[in-house]
Amino acid sequence: MQWWCSASGAPWTWAPQYYPGVWLMVAVLAVTFHALSRRARAQGEGRGAYWGGWMAVGLVWQVLDWPIGPLAAGYLSSAHALQFVVLALVAPPLLLRATRRALAAAVPTSGGARTVALLITQPIIAAVIFNLIAIATHVPAVVDALMPTQLGAFTIDLLWLVGGLVLWWPIIVEAPRRPWFGAPVRMLYLFLGTLVHTGIAMVMLVRDFPMYGIYELAPPWKAWTPLEDQHLAGGVMELAGAAVVFGIITVIFFRWSGGVEGDNAPPAPPRD
Amino acid sequence: MLPLRILVPGLAAVLLAACAAPAPRHGAAIEPALPRPSFTLTDTRGVPFEFGRETRGLLTFLFFGYTNCPDVCPVHVANVAAVLHKLPFEDQRKARFVFVTADPARDSLPRLRQWLDQFDASFIGLRGDEAEIARIMTATGMPPAIRGAVGADGRYEVGHPAAVLVFTADDSAHVLYPFGTRQLDWAEDIPRLLRVRPRTEN
Repeated sequence: MQWWCSASGAPWTWAPQYYPGVWLMVAVLAVTFHALSRRARAQGEGRGAYWGGWMAVGLVWQVLDWPIGPLAAGYLSSAHALQFVVLALVAPPLLLRATRRALAAAVPTSGGARTVALLITQPIIAAVIFNLIAIATHVPAVVDALMPTQLGAFTIDLLWLVGGLVLWWPIIVEAPRRPWFGAPVRMLYLFLGTLVHTGIAMVMLVRDFPMYGIYELAPPWKAWTPLEDQHLAGGVMELAGAAVVFGIITVIFFRWSGGVEGDNAPPAPPRD
Repeated sequence: MLPLRILVPGLAAVLLAACAAPAPRHGAAIEPALPRPSFTLTDTRGVPFEFGRETRGLLTFLFFGYTNCPDVCPVHVANVAAVLHKLPFEDQRKARFVFVTADPARDSLPRLRQWLDQFDASFIGLRGDEAEIARIMTATGMPPAIRGAVGADGRYEVGHPAAVLVFTADDSAHVLYPFGTRQLDWAEDIPRLLRVRPRTEN
């Protein structure tokens, strides 16, 4: 049984495939989200954020399961780029927005766990973690080595989701509170924190030859060539990523310029 | 100071080495080099094609495959085509891609032409009877094609060599490229292969 989508080298077929590992991961995500969002709603989180969170769970499921999952694993670089955008840039802010009050309350107040939480949610460290993940999971040798195995493909997908949660936490959850991390700094953080992924997209757009062997040597996808697919992947990462990042930067800017910055914050946990 | 009888041959050797074509970096070396074979098959216009004569002195990619191939053939042919398209026009003129069907039962001449045109209209498609193609494959050091079991839908696959044989201007094949050769590999090697000089010029 194939638990997770991986590059098989077999010709693509539209016959549905089943990936129990994907269902299991989505079920864990859904149950965790349900528990956290219930607590968050009890603390006053709105319905819009709640349904946005469920939309994120649905999106994660859609991009990991058939057909996008196997297409991304072994046939189309553009499908893989779509996975990256959803797992790292779209789903995490929606999930965190819906659960931020519960998450903020769950931040440890003392001990080693608090030290770790302070470290990981420190914006500079969070941005470094996200960018290291983005770089490592786009290096051709790494992608070509990991994607043919179920564990390798799962690792990349999981890293993107975790990296996205780490990147967005300081912006959305805002716990522990950092007085210096106001709206202008947050806008700068988002811009600089996602520059690397923009750079990766640019490389994919301008390269003359396919970068990834798994997509170049995969049974052909008749609609377009591997190089065209790579350019499409770069475009997806560039445009969809920019739309998300600049969309949120715009929201932060207008909330800040309208003087409502503080209203967005969850109940304040202890300051560090 | 070195005596002239050592210096002159030494200098000549260095100069010759500098002029010689650089060795390809990818593929598998063929030792000893395989001479360009002579055989005649029918091309997609229905005209006899004398391989040895028509491709003499040209960089020639020889590949045995079939148009119903789901993976190796289209990828291999597409990768060579993609790199050839990026070469200067003068270099493109010095190269020929010859596709010999390993499945003449299904690959009619129009079918061959239609399939090759997806990649490049200048690619040459050749067809003959199975016995003749098997003889050519053996002569070029390739295992003959094997037809797989026919499925319920009447379809079958053909086992065939997944390597592209490359003959250079010296009318020899020094290297063959297995499946898995990337476009970047071809882009690195084709200019080197184009620099091999014809035998008469050496």
